[in-house]
Amino acid sequence: MKTYEVFLKKEGKDPFIHAGSFDAPDDEMALTYAREAYGRRSEGDQMWVVLRDNVLVADELELGMANRTHKHNDGQLVAELRRAKSSNES
Amino acid sequence: MAVSKEAHNLVLSFADDELCIGQNHSWWIAIGPFLEEDLAFTSIAQDELGHARALYSLLTDDIDHLAYGRKYSEYRSAHLAEFLCHDWSSALVRHVLHDMAEQIRWSALINSSWTELGDTAERALAEENFHIQHGLSLLRRLLSSDEGHKRLEPVVLELVPHGREYFVDCDLGLVDNGVLTMSMADQEQMWIDQVTETFNEFNISVDISQEAQGMGRSGIRSNDFATLHDEMVAVIRIDPKAKW
Repeated sequence: MKTYEVFLKKEGKDPFIHAGSFDAPDDEMALTYAREAYGRRSEGDQMWVVLRDNVLVADELELGMANRTHKHNDGQLVAELRRAKSSNES
Repeated sequence: MAVSKEAHNLVLSFADDELCIGQNHSWWIAIGPFLEEDLAFTSIAQDELGHARALYSLLTDDIDHLAYGRKYSEYRSAHLAEFLCHDWSSALVRHVLHDMAEQIRWSALINSSWTELGDTAERALAEENFHIQHGLSLLRRLLSSDEGHKRLEPVVLELVPHGREYFVDCDLGLVDNGVLTMSMADQEQMWIDQVTETFNEFNISVDISQEAQGMGRSGIRSNDFATLHDEMVAVIRIDPKAKW
């Protein structure tokens, strides 16, 4: 058996969202089982079924690197600098 | 439209087949061979019960009475649908044989002059195509292995001859008045060809030459029916007002 990951998309602007995983012996049966396990109640209009082996997995160490606060730019600092600059100029 | 006796019996037979198969498939809830198959198989069971309900509703307003309240001799189910099949190999083979027949039977009703029946057929057929795909892909996969072939072959040989009973209904006048778009004999031949071809692929030569006696259709129940019926009326015996 191989493990597959299921993604569902509802009608509208929502993106594909991970719905869960399951096992199947081959691709043909995977589509069958995915439909029954995750789509039998019309949970989505579109479905992606991906063999887990084909999913590229990022390095957890790199992802979890310590202090990344400088990446969280909420724009406040820039806004304050701009305000200060424009009041100096006036 | 005025429903002829033949049309009534045709729909009742089909509904009883679906009721029995739905009930039988549902024995596998929580004990399917693996989780994914358990879910798929019992979801199919639910679909089949839905088909039974839709068909009964064409004949009566009191579906519960028709489904559960008749004498044994008033049921018309084919024996193949009644068998308990308490072994996965026989449950799977019966699933395939039943759904091959079911797909053909719905197809013959899809443009029926009985418009409600035609609409029901159209909805059911959409699900049915999926059922047969499910059954066949699993069966083919198992038959491709030596172990699977060894275990399934005797079951196939045992169950196949019973399948012709699905086509025993009298279709007198039903093609002429457009209730059916294919005669029962043509449907039966189509099923025989499909079944023969499917198993030939795996070197299993099935013998379907024997004409079905149609005992189930004429009111004689198989030995398994009593157990099946007890199970399906368990709730309504406790609470006669219970709803499906």
